[in-house]
Amino acid sequence: MTLINVLIAGLVLGGTYALVAMGLTLQYGIARIMNLAYGETIIAAAFAAYLLQGALGVNPLLGMLLVLPGGFVFGYIVYGLMMRPLVARSQDRGNLEIDSILATFGLLFVIQGVMLVIFGSNYMSYSFLNVPVTILGANVAANRLLAFVLALTIGLTLYLLLTRTRWGTALRAVAVAPQNAPLVGIDVNRTARFAFALGGALAAAGGVVISMYQTFTATSGVVFTMKALIVVIMGGVGNLLGALSAGLILGLVETGVASYIDPGLTLAATYAIFLAILLWRPQGLFGGAGR
Amino acid sequence: MLEVSGLSLHYGQHLALDSVDVRAAPGESVVILGANGAGKSSLLKAIAGLVRPDPGTGIRLDGQSILTLPAHSVVEAGIALVPEGRGIFGDLTVEENLLLGAFARRARDDEAARRDLVYELFPRLAERRRQIASTMSGGEQQMVAIGRALMSNPDCLLLDEPSLGLAPVVVVELFQALEKVHKAGVGLIIVEQNVRISLSIADRGYLMEAGRIVGEGAAGTLIDDPAVQRAFLGMG
Repeated sequence: MTLINVLIAGLVLGGTYALVAMGLTLQYGIARIMNLAYGETIIAAAFAAYLLQGALGVNPLLGMLLVLPGGFVFGYIVYGLMMRPLVARSQDRGNLEIDSILATFGLLFVIQGVMLVIFGSNYMSYSFLNVPVTILGANVAANRLLAFVLALTIGLTLYLLLTRTRWGTALRAVAVAPQNAPLVGIDVNRTARFAFALGGALAAAGGVVISMYQTFTATSGVVFTMKALIVVIMGGVGNLLGALSAGLILGLVETGVASYIDPGLTLAATYAIFLAILLWRPQGLFGGAGR
Repeated sequence: MLEVSGLSLHYGQHLALDSVDVRAAPGESVVILGANGAGKSSLLKAIAGLVRPDPGTGIRLDGQSILTLPAHSVVEAGIALVPEGRGIFGDLTVEENLLLGAFARRARDDEAARRDLVYELFPRLAERRRQIASTMSGGEQQMVAIGRALMSNPDCLLLDEPSLGLAPVVVVELFQALEKVHKAGVGLIIVEQNVRISLSIADRGYLMEAGRIVGEGAAGTLIDDPAVQRAFLGMG
């Protein structure tokens, strides 16, 4: 592969990581829920896009208009049923984190089990815009290019909403100082639920984007949860632009290692970065939440 | 009219407030004096809905009970608290703090006019509207906290030791601003240890000791009260 090829492939992969990580950073940074079933939401959305495309002939771009709100509603319901009781009884943030990890660990297997029953354990994929486009002399599949553009568009839109609107600022306020938010009339529980649901919508968007250019199976969710978690910590918990940049970096590193060193070392490289950040910059490359 | 009647509050076994009665007429400026640990902060927190008082307590605003309202709804009812330690959003800018100050629905009309008023009251904030609040001086942060509370269009502003940790010249500046706020028709309930300056802008005052109200009077009489002088002004 040429350098251009590697860069483009890295950015495409990184854009996807960034997109899914932004949803997790909303759920973890604002709602304070460490959602281990996050990747399963992604895969469920990928299956939804697969079904819409295969059975109903709805292309994934239109499908997103259905799957995104679906992810929001799913997140909203999960928060109401499973998370609210945990929030109500937790005295501090540490308790809530442990409780939510245990609860969503269970949820992971429920969603995965349902998907295994319905779809089996085969790898799935469908063909959408699978035509080559030439950029700077390198051939790229149009679906990958679209995936990258979608990830960036959704990510930047979310960033602008969070930084330029009052409710977005309120979400950030709950991320940085939840104890002070009620002083200005912000209902922290409602805001947390909304942020969790928004994270679900982003997971769904990520799932649709992934299904456009990757194969996936009912059990691949955990990989995405781990990658998203690494990106979130790299970027700083609750930091959206951090997640965006860290996602792109991780995608570039993984593709670079796979192309120039050995594809078998991709995961090792990922975790080496993760370890280095935990040891030397636990607050993330770009600092904490709020920006 | 804000009426607190028979307010008792336990933290576990500890009785922090013992059937406290306090009232403030619309637009009235009331100061609550007392030593550390007298229960002044607990009183403000109970009014603001941040702590749950014991059964039998009454907290009414214009006749409506606000006792069971969660803190965010108390703001909507027209009471804004500037807590001890200020409670601002330190990671956000001055402008963003004021934007969130007007989060309550009651604050949305005339928001722009109110922001102009806050900037007129505290010109320093206007100069530094894009600065991250936590990087500002203590006095400026207190201005952000008061400005943010004013943005919610409160009928009654609760202030918990606004002078704490500030240089005397800054304290004077702050209380001049609070006097203007009071003259504009906003009711004030100020908890303070700085007796002289807080009585100077108050209509009435209460004395608190060990969770109880032990004295009450017009601001002008309290400043000459021997008990007040002994307890707070180091005289007699």
